[in-house]
Amino acid sequence: MSTRPSVIRQTIVTPIILIVALLIMAALTYQFGSRAFNRTAVEMFINIMVVVGLYVFVGNSGLLSFGHISFMCLGAYMTAWLAIPPVMKSITLKGLPAWLLHTQLPMWVATPISGLFAAIFALIIGRVIMRLSGIAASIATFGLLGVVNNVYSNWDSVTGGQGSIVGIPPTMNVWIGWLGATAAIVIAYLYSISRSGLALRATRDEAVAASASGINIVRERLIAFVVSAFIIGLAGALYAHFLSIVNPGAFYLRTTFVTLSMLVVGGMYSLSGAVSGVVVMSVLIELFRNLEKGISLGGHTIALPNGAQEIAIGAITIVMLMYLPTGLSRNREFSWRGWPLQRPLARPVQTALKELN
Amino acid sequence: MRSDGLELVARDVSVQFEGLKALSDVTLAVPRGGITGLIGPNGAGKTTLINVLTGFQPVGAGSIELEGEPLNGIAAHKLRHKGVARTFQSGRLFRDLPVVDNLEVTGVGLGQTRRDAIAEAQRVLAWLGISSLANTIAGALPYTDERRVAIGRAIMCTPRYLLLDEPAAGMSEHESHDLAAIIRRIAGELNVGVLLIEHNIGLVLELCERIFVLDSGEIIEVGTPAEIRDSDAVRHAYMGTQRDELIPPIVAEAAVAS
Ligand SMILES: Nc1ncnc2c1ncn2[C@@H]1O[C@H](COP(=O)(O)OP(=O)(O)OP(=O)(O)O)[C@@H](O)[C@H]1O
Ligand SMILES: [Mg+2]
Repeated sequence: MSTRPSVIRQTIVTPIILIVALLIMAALTYQFGSRAFNRTAVEMFINIMVVVGLYVFVGNSGLLSFGHISFMCLGAYMTAWLAIPPVMKSITLKGLPAWLLHTQLPMWVATPISGLFAAIFALIIGRVIMRLSGIAASIATFGLLGVVNNVYSNWDSVTGGQGSIVGIPPTMNVWIGWLGATAAIVIAYLYSISRSGLALRATRDEAVAASASGINIVRERLIAFVVSAFIIGLAGALYAHFLSIVNPGAFYLRTTFVTLSMLVVGGMYSLSGAVSGVVVMSVLIELFRNLEKGISLGGHTIALPNGAQEIAIGAITIVMLMYLPTGLSRNREFSWRGWPLQRPLARPVQTALKELN
Repeated sequence: MRSDGLELVARDVSVQFEGLKALSDVTLAVPRGGITGLIGPNGAGKTTLINVLTGFQPVGAGSIELEGEPLNGIAAHKLRHKGVARTFQSGRLFRDLPVVDNLEVTGVGLGQTRRDAIAEAQRVLAWLGISSLANTIAGALPYTDERRVAIGRAIMCTPRYLLLDEPAAGMSEHESHDLAAIIRRIAGELNVGVLLIEHNIGLVLELCERIFVLDSGEIIEVGTPAEIRDSDAVRHAYMGTQRDELIPPIVAEAAVAS
């Protein structure tokens, strides 16, 4: 019997292509980009981490989540607690426990701890949310976003409330951004070729048949939820180092909306889609940002009104959903033999009665 | 080959859907290593009974036992781990996956590594004689191959019981003959207890040692093929059907799948 090449051998090209493409972008940015452009690139890399994290859960489970940006919030604040110099913390964040007030950890240590913190939180919360199905689960994740935002906006002594906490060492650059994106891609890739990834995609496509195949849907969803929270927690940590300040407003509706749009535009069910969605949307967002600032044409300055950016993102997302619901990637991977190959477009909704036949 | 009184049993099971009694006081036993038939007109409750036996449908009253162990309220995926496998009337393959991966999913669901699950999938495909389909995307399969792949997926890691929901629907006489041979081998060689739901009554009479007849949620007759062939109750259940039409000597009608 001819043995097939192993799963890794068949699929490893995808992450390699993605990582190398991003490396080239990082190198070009570093070499030729202005300071401002470098910052845009770092932001793009962080968004790649977030959207790849979203893909791990949304793409493999088929459940939409509005709550994942709360993991970014958790990661960013944890980094703030760990990385701000004790002198500053003892003034602004009096409510922190003494041992935390006196620690200061370098980015290399604070970042994984922040990711773990988000993952543990997801493990606890997910035990409840993952029992819900379909739309109920999505609404619950939205509730999670609201609750986390509320807590971080109001627990003044620990989070600084609505205001910003300052003083996180600004240690980010394009190389670290690239490294973060690479880590996210590698984790997402390993997850999706894992047993759990295969099982979860089976539940996404035929939940009833997956149960009949011995798959525990709640458990597989929870695993993906925790892995995605870890990745997004890391992203939050790097974001804190990037801006060097954190405030709860940065991890709320706008970010949720923009990152979900990126995932939809790229194609929800593929890793290549997640990454390319971010790259394409980042270019567009940057374009509209410049148009909002105004461009001069023969002495006149023409500027779009503020907010044009958001409207454009919204419009693009709607158009994508209408005409290309599988996204730019058509839910396929860059030469990935296996799951998403040729996925048919929208499938007829099954009636409840048909469910168990 | 036949073993030791081991059975999967539904005892006095009743299931109700908003006023509609889908099953009333149904008792049915599937012995290990044998083939048991379940027939009845459309809407009789056959699929509902399979759903009950595989953990997809909670019972209103009654109990399920697997070789003496009571199983009420157990989740479907756990029942599969205990060795109760099934197919679906509507196929339900993972349409975007190649055939071999459709089987692999069950191996993984049962705790195998991906490598072992792929090896087991290839073994099962070879056992069924459909290795040539391994790399076809399941959604592109013709109807009858779909049925065989569904059976392959269900017999991954050799379950103890296999419940087949109209596996011959839409098959030609020749194809259902091949299917009959496979079902015999599953019961005989693998010592699996098979429950066969079929509208192709010729096939059921040919294969099964014991046949249950379900009508409007009630078991109206149990017996050997010969007894079922001669039963007045069975003839009544298929109202308007002439005896000769209902029970063709050998000719298997291509039943229309619902
Ligand atoms: N989930 C459900 N909700 C409400 N009614 C249901 C449900 N499932 C089945 N029924 C009803 O229960 C009865 C038995 O259905 P079941 O599917 O078990 O019949 P069947 O014997 O498998 O029929 P067929 O030969 O057409 O497959 C039918 O009247 C059906 O409409
Ligand atoms: Mg049925």
